[in-house]
Amino acid sequence: MATDVVRTVPGITVSIARDPALVRTVRLVAAAVARRSSRDEEFVEEVRLAVGEACALLMGASHAEDEPVTVRLSVDARLHVEVSSDGPMTPRGGLPRDVAGVEPWVLLRALIDDFSLAQDGSRTVVSMSWPLS
Amino acid sequence: MDLSLETRHEDGFTIIEVGGEIDVYTAPKLRDKITELVGTGEYDLVIDMEKVDFLDSTGLGVLVGGLKKVRAHDGSMRLICNQERLLKIFRITGLAKVFVIHGSQADALAER
Repeated sequence: MATDVVRTVPGITVSIARDPALVRTVRLVAAAVARRSSRDEEFVEEVRLAVGEACALLMGASHAEDEPVTVRLSVDARLHVEVSSDGPMTPRGGLPRDVAGVEPWVLLRALIDDFSLAQDGSRTVVSMSWPLS
Repeated sequence: MDLSLETRHEDGFTIIEVGGEIDVYTAPKLRDKITELVGTGEYDLVIDMEKVDFLDSTGLGVLVGGLKKVRAHDGSMRLICNQERLLKIFRITGLAKVFVIHGSQADALAER
């Protein structure tokens, strides 16, 4: 007897503890999802970089050290990635985070055409998407 | 892949050959290595990134911090990078104008 599959929210969701060592794992997942959608290795590399960068910045930015960083990936006509965590966008101490002269988020803003950084209630949400050919 | 760091000396420069991924987890190891070298009076550094597989803004921050450290002692920091995916990161962050980036060790060491 066939079993009907009850479909949940589409895509893949990964939550990781605020441990920098785990960011690489999420990058690998993101690259795997991108590679399923495209054979363009430059695109795969961009997704891998973007997801890792967003996770790293959210880990450093939030006050909520016990809360995980969550990455949601889904595919329709585009590859959508949402990276979020509890806590405000402003970092510890309320000062703009500047890693030795490198402005936070500049890499993602420049790299991704469809990029947004927003506050959703108590959560900081980074949204990015790429068209799929 | 973790980060590998090998240091050697040539023509008055200290060359750090970096391999693997420079990210939020591993970048502190590179920062510590640069700090250690500057602390022992080695102010002319060459960072060879030919075997680097990944670089994020944390890694860029460490490189910028290293550049500031050596410049404080009238030193220099040259980068070796010939991978387009990494060069793109330097370009879009504007850091391609901040660093002297060479395509090979021979080129990096030849320039005086």
